[in-house]
Amino acid sequence: MKQEAVDAVIAALKSAGVSVVCYLPDSLFKELYPALDADSDLRTIRVTNEGEGAAICGGLFLSGKRAVLVMENSGLRAAIEPLARMGMGAGIPVVMLMSYRGDFGENNWWAVPHAMTMEPLLQAMRVPYRVVDETKKINEAIAGAFSLSYASYYHSAVALTGNLVR
Amino acid sequence: MTRFECMQAFARKLKNELVILSLGASVDEWYNAAPHMREASLFQQQLGCVTPQAFGLAVGLPHRRVVSLDTDGGMMFNLGIMATLANEQPKNLLVVIWDNQCYQSIGGPPTHTAGRVDLEKIARGAGIDCAFTARTLEQFDALCQRGLAADEPFIIVAKVDASSRRDVKRKHSDGREDKYVFVRHIEATEGIVIMGPSEHN
Repeated sequence: MKQEAVDAVIAALKSAGVSVVCYLPDSLFKELYPALDADSDLRTIRVTNEGEGAAICGGLFLSGKRAVLVMENSGLRAAIEPLARMGMGAGIPVVMLMSYRGDFGENNWWAVPHAMTMEPLLQAMRVPYRVVDETKKINEAIAGAFSLSYASYYHSAVALTGNLVR
Repeated sequence: MTRFECMQAFARKLKNELVILSLGASVDEWYNAAPHMREASLFQQQLGCVTPQAFGLAVGLPHRRVVSLDTDGGMMFNLGIMATLANEQPKNLLVVIWDNQCYQSIGGPPTHTAGRVDLEKIARGAGIDCAFTARTLEQFDALCQRGLAADEPFIIVAKVDASSRRDVKRKHSDGREDKYVFVRHIEATEGIVIMGPSEHN
């Protein structure tokens, strides 16, 4: 992940009022995680799976603090159960930032299913999302995700792809 | 030891705490055992989410005591939260696991704790030093007293009967209404806005 994209993500999260980041690290966002850990304005919580991270973010929403779940897009599959329960059952939103594994340019066979499932799952869950491949669009996407999730009380997602993560 | 009598004893100790609890018969039992805590309790029909949500709430409100009323089935759905709690060491989170060794709400088939599984040992192995098992009401009561005053994550595995109280008043609200009530309670008691007005009417 390019440094300018790392910087843009962190600036956008802060601008959106985020103070806690839950994450399960992945390779495409490799440079982002230590930068999040090192930022004194953000508390990072490392989780054992993305479903747990989604639920922790849900609890943070209830506290009035803004949180984001950062993960590889494969994590969406692990998070679907708590996302369905919290979002559809109770109206507790989670904003997600994920790396788009399996997109054009992918050169790992194991990552191909991540792309095959990501957008259909987001659509099945009725989760609004943006796929972003330019640094200059990161802030708008993250700001928009938080604005919408705090109006709909439902999840939203931003997936970063292309040169942003390679 | 029944879950309901444990709840009644525990509820007497609560005043300003926030509670997130799991699904099944324990919902209506808590609704009746702790009527003064109804607005301060989030009733969640979710396996594996309860303690993670309670932890998130505890992170967001570090000055407030948060209680997770989880279950053996719920905790085993995501044992990873024990590892996360061990590393994060929240100072304001008490987890009570109602361990009746069965999936009671669907008729009672056994959970793994009916076999060789010991949730206290799992918690200790994960790195949570304050993890204990209560087998009597007196033990449970004393552990609750300690857990509510602890400044590290505290887990009580309450070995309760598989019975449930069916003669109590049913809670009528759904998860969405429960969330609004809970959030409005936090807003009122914290003096903050969580779900505010829209930009335009």
